[in-house]
Order: sequence, then structure tokens, then C-alpha cells
Amino acid sequence: MKNVLIVDDSESIRVVVETALNEAGYNVFAGENGEEGLQLLIKNPQIDLIISDFNMPIMDGITFLKKVRQLEEYKYLPVLMLTTETQGTKKVEAKKSGATGWITKPFDKEQLISIVKKVIR
Amino acid sequence: MIEEKSKKIYIEEANELLISLESSLLVLEDDPTDNSNIELVFRVMHTLKGNSSMFGVAVVSEFVHDLETIYDKIRTGTLELTKEILDSTLVSLDHLKIIIQDTTLENAENKENHYRLIKQNNALIDNETTSIKSEPILNSEEQLNSFHIYFAPSITILKNGFNVLYLLSELSEIGKTSVLPFIKQLNELTEFDPIDCICSWDIIIETTQTSKEILDLFVFVKEDAKIEINELKCVDLVSNKEFKKIIEESFYQEEKIELSEILQHAKTFGKSIEIKKTEEVLALPLSKNDDHKKKSKKKSVTSIRVSSDKLDELMNLVSELVTTQAGLSLFSEKNKIQELEGVTENVEKLTRRLRDISFGMTLLPINTMFLRFQRMVRDTSDVLGKEVDFITEGGDTELDKTIIETLTDPLMHVIRNSLDHGIETREERLKKGKTAKGKLLLKAYYSGVFVYIQIIDDGKGMDPAVIRSKAIENGLITEEDHLSEKEIFNLIFYPGFSTASVVTDVSGRGVGMDVVKQNITDLKGTILVESKLNEGTSLTIKLPLTLSIIDGLLIDLDGVKYIVPVSVITKCYEVQNEDMCNNFNKLLLLDGEQVPFINLREEFGYKKLDTGYSQLIVVSDEENSVGISVDFIVGQYQAVIKPLGSYFRKQDFVSGATILGDGSIALVLDTHKIIELYVEQIKTEV
Repeated sequence: MKNVLIVDDSESIRVVVETALNEAGYNVFAGENGEEGLQLLIKNPQIDLIISDFNMPIMDGITFLKKVRQLEEYKYLPVLMLTTETQGTKKVEAKKSGATGWITKPFDKEQLISIVKKVIR
Repeated sequence: MIEEKSKKIYIEEANELLISLESSLLVLEDDPTDNSNIELVFRVMHTLKGNSSMFGVAVVSEFVHDLETIYDKIRTGTLELTKEILDSTLVSLDHLKIIIQDTTLENAENKENHYRLIKQNNALIDNETTSIKSEPILNSEEQLNSFHIYFAPSITILKNGFNVLYLLSELSEIGKTSVLPFIKQLNELTEFDPIDCICSWDIIIETTQTSKEILDLFVFVKEDAKIEINELKCVDLVSNKEFKKIIEESFYQEEKIELSEILQHAKTFGKSIEIKKTEEVLALPLSKNDDHKKKSKKKSVTSIRVSSDKLDELMNLVSELVTTQAGLSLFSEKNKIQELEGVTENVEKLTRRLRDISFGMTLLPINTMFLRFQRMVRDTSDVLGKEVDFITEGGDTELDKTIIETLTDPLMHVIRNSLDHGIETREERLKKGKTAKGKLLLKAYYSGVFVYIQIIDDGKGMDPAVIRSKAIENGLITEEDHLSEKEIFNLIFYPGFSTASVVTDVSGRGVGMDVVKQNITDLKGTILVESKLNEGTSLTIKLPLTLSIIDGLLIDLDGVKYIVPVSVITKCYEVQNEDMCNNFNKLLLLDGEQVPFINLREEFGYKKLDTGYSQLIVVSDEENSVGISVDFIVGQYQAVIKPLGSYFRKQDFVSGATILGDGSIALVLDTHKIIELYVEQIKTEV
């Protein structure tokens, strides 16, 4: 079973992602901000994919992403960023910081799964 | 689309977000230059917008979008935060709180406000078009098309964690494909980086998708790769064995297939191919050295979540501490050491504050529960085909979380009853000259150390005569019993009592009101019904604020200690025992008023005293005041209430026990029950 880490400060988003992924047969870890995300990642090296929000308290998504890329064993780990359509510049910024791709909010279950399948199988 | 459970979380979270937004805005009002708060406001708005669009609440997401734009401009310095903006934001916030409950803008007033505020906010953004554009959905024709795709990712593409092979298999999911890899010249093994992508692909695909849809698949790699999509106006290229063979042969030529080549091959077996070049994307690999550091900003954490287990443990420890502190106080009193007394007093003060604070932490605004009803009322009234205005008041009233948990079901039941049996259908209401829409008010408020929760409807009310005859039919009372209206209404709380002539899906199975009463009683609360025929019914639930530690009055009765909760005591008097003994109607004249009394010595089977003095504590519930006589009052005492053992559970005049400073046990008297027993006793005597 593939393991996915979702990092978002919004509980609703976490729950939606978690339920959708669980239904699709993924195992999900959830963190509320970048810092929690990092800790979860270090504790659970079996994680295959990270989905992270941009705007979060304590540690935002870009910082989180950069920190992940700094870790030798996660240099090439797929990371998808959650974004809204108004943030075109954010996508570029995310790409530069090493994001694999993005998921545009709002998304539904099917869209989420199809995007996740783009990067892990 | 998304489960109910998540929706509930969405609403709860949206409310939390609005609350934190409000407090940040108020801080901004004092200091409009506080950048960290502007940042926070923007972030919260952004989250709210994102969540709302996730849950399909377009009304909210579009509305917040404008607000977000304003604060984005303020954040980046293109707009100045004026009082006008703040005022408008705060009004918008109030509006948001409302429309989160009314996401379809059913209420005309909400609708009007909504569009007025959108206009107002838009004016603040400087007339820029800001509403979210919804992309038109293209109807894709179910027609097979062939495409030639040339896909040459940049050498660094694998470094972002993207696996190109997934993309290729994704392509093969949307149609029949023929994929040909082309590998560039390899470097020497020593210089070779295994993460470099040195491959490019030619793909011939036969699919019903359009070229735009195909390009969408490349969404993550568009900037990192050279992609060419050419439409081949030819249907069965991929399945054509001959063509496939030719194409495969070219694989060994270590060359990219040129479009003209395909044309050539296709022509050889008589296919006419039109080539429509549709898309070509070329982007330079992103430079990796472009390091732009983001200023790390300190963000205020306004609240944290703590598991309820930890809170329970804290409460337990505080309870223990209160008990231990009582022991210390007693010891210090006995020993009269001045230094010890000072310390003890401090410990007592600190304990009391600690107690109050930890109690405060277990309190939740009752709103969390009210919100759940909102939806239920809408659904239920839909099922019943009734129109109901559901109004909640006092949602910020705080209650212990365990009380809220226990209350949800009973309240749900009462509300359902009101909707089903109370509020009439539109036609009935109009006939009676009432408004077409029924009104259901749920309101909570503090009064003293109690919380009152009222459910008031303006429905048809209850008919005492109907209840009475039903009760007689059920054998609860007999024809000869003469009951007051209030007593008749109380009959509805008896097990198996239901006046509903028809059992509906919603309610009316006669199980319920007795359970409701039981639940409330378990919480040491009381419930009161009032009703006027054709005007409505109101149900009032009265609950003590907290359960586990109370301020009590420690009293002594023949050497045994009891606790009476201070909250119910109105006054204390000193009375002569003589007056009580030779008293036939059990009434004492106190402050010019006749007060009925209970001689506890007599009730508890102790020897009656006929000389000397006793203390009379007057306690009262909603309507009755009764004096309780005790030997003497020891003083005030913080009592940690512990449940009684199973042997004593059934003693309903005692609500629990507490451990005193010297380790002995005092029973906590339930004065409500004592008054109730007393009233019953009087009746049987009459």
C-alpha cells in the first residue's frame, strides 16, 4: 500500500483528502503545518508522496518543500502542492522550489485520485 | 459529492475561522500597520475561500474571494487599510456568519445583503473584475482522433520527483498508443548522473480526447519539456500492423521520427493524412540557483487543540488538589503556626484559580451544538413539508463539553417534536391567521450558576384536556385526579406517553420525552413545559454550570456532615427548636413570610430536639422555597463531588459525596429532590 502525507492547516481539507485517499486504498498521514509534516516524514520514511498546502501557520508550504528537498533521502520524493486558481505565480514558485506538481482547489475525489496517480502508482 | 461528516467539519471550521478573523480584525483596528496580522487575515480568508469552494459553497467562496483580494492588495502595499475597509470587512464577516447557515440565500434579506456587500467590496477593490471565472466546459465529441505527440523532457525533469513513465501509462489509459522511445547519446559512465533524463518519446495515440485534453495530462511537465501535439486526421493508424512495423523499425535508427516521415509511411498504404499542428510548448529548464528566501514571519497561535482525555485528567488532578488542599487547611487550622497559615491561604487561593481556569477550559460554546440542529431542522421540515424559521440565540453561552455531548440527543428529540407536532403546515397556519412560516427559537442564556436552554415554537401548542384524557386512557391517572395545568403537561414525561395520533417517521413513537427527562435529570438539571393552545409550546431546560466541583455550605446534623450547594440557598436563619417541634402546619414565619420547612433531624430519623436553636437554610427551586433545619453551619466548603457507590445510587435526595479535609465523608444533598419529595408528601397528607 502506498503512503501519502497530507499537510494542511485546514481540518476539512485534511479530512476530504484523507477519506478520498483511504477509499482509493492509500494509507494517509496528516499534519497541520510544515513543521508537523517534517516530523511525520522523518518518523515515517515509507511515505511515497507529499501533498501540501501553501499557506500554513508556523511553517508554510514552500519552506516545508525546500526543507524536504534538502534531506538527502527525499530529494526526489514526489510533492504535490495544493493551490487555488488565482495563484499562477505560486505554481512557478513551487516548481522552482522543487515541487513535482500541484492540485488546484477546488477538487473532487476523482480529480484528486487522478492527479495522485500521475505521480505514484 | 463529499460526505456529510466532512461538511459538518467544514461548517465548524468555517465558524472557527470567522472567529479568529474577527479578533484579528479588531486588533488591526487599533493598529492598522500590524503586518503580521494583515498576513494572518489574508491567510485565514484564503483558507476559508479554499474550503468553501471545496465543499461547493460558492456563495461563501465568491464572497470571500473579493475580501481576499482587498487584503492581498493591502498586504502587498497597493491598497491602504482604511477604516472604511475595516468597517466593510466586519460587516461582511457578520454576513458570512449568516450565509454559512444559509448557503442558498433562501432568506430574501440575506440575498439582498449579499449582493449589496459584494458591490460594496468590489468598489473597494477599485472596480477591478474579480469574480472567479468559471471555465466553460467543452463538449468533447465522441470521435476517435489520432495524434502524434513528441515529448522531450528536460534533462532535469526527474529531479522534482516526477516519474515520466506514469505519464506514458496515463496516456495509454485514454486511448490506444504506440510509444517509441528515443535515447540520446549516453555520457561516459563516470560522468553519468542516474537522475538525468536522457530519453525522449514519440507517441502515436488514438483517442476520443481533444488535443487540449491531451496537453492537460502534461500539466506538471509543460514548463520542463518540449511537447508537440499534432493531430493526424486518420483513424486507425495505431492498429494498423503495417504502419506499426514501419514505425518500430525507425526506433533502431536512433533518430526522432519526423512528421514528414509518418506522412510518408502512411501514404505508402494509401491513407490520406492531414496534419494540424496544434500545440508546441517549449520552456527552458528552470534555473536551480534562483534562490529566493521568504521572510519567515512569526505568526500568533491563538488556540491549540488538546485531547479531551488530557483535559479530563487535568480535571481529575485539580479535584484531587482541592481535596488535598482542604486537608492542608484543616491541619493548619489545628496547629496555629503563623507561617503555615500564610502558605495555606496562598495554596487555597491558587487552587481556587486553578479550579476556575481548568473548568473554563472544558467549556465549549453551545453554538457547536446549535449548528448541528440547523441542518437537521431544514431537512426535517423539508420531509414534513413545513416552512420553519429556525432562530438560535445565545450560541456563545458556554457549557461543559460532557453536558453538551449528553444534551445533543435530547434537544434533537425535542426539536423534532416541535417540528412534527408543534408547528402546523402552511395551510393550517394561514387558516389560524398566523404567519405562513413557523418559528422555532432555540435560545441559551446564563442565570446565576445555571444555564437555561429554551426551545420555543409558535405552533399549535398542547391541549391539557387531550393530555389528560390520554393519561387516563393509559392508566397514568384516574378520572378523580385533579391536576393543575402544569402537572398535566408534566405527564408527557412519563414513559410510553404520546399523544401523536399518527406515528410518523420523524417522531411520535412515545419513546423519547421520558428519555429526554432522564437525560436532563442525569445532568442534575430540570425541565419545564409551558404551552398555550394554538399559540405554541416552550420547553425550558435548566442546567447547573459545572458538575464535578461545587461551592457548598458544610452543615452538621447530629455530628454527621452534609453539603448543601450554595447556588440554591437564598437565606439562612436561626430558629428556636421549640418553634419547630410544636408546629402543626409546618410553617415558620420568617421576615414576615410563611415558609414551609423540613426538620432534617426528624426526616433522617435522629432524635428531635425541643430546646436550643437550629439553623434554617432556605433553599429554592423555580417556584418553591423550603427551609431545611440543621444543627449548625460549619462554613463554606469547595466540594469535589464523587458519585456514590452502587448501594447508594438509588438514594435520590443525595447527589453525591465529598471527602473532607480530615478524610471523613460528607453527603451532598440534592435540594431539588428534597423539595420535590416534600411537595409530594404534603399532597398525600391533604
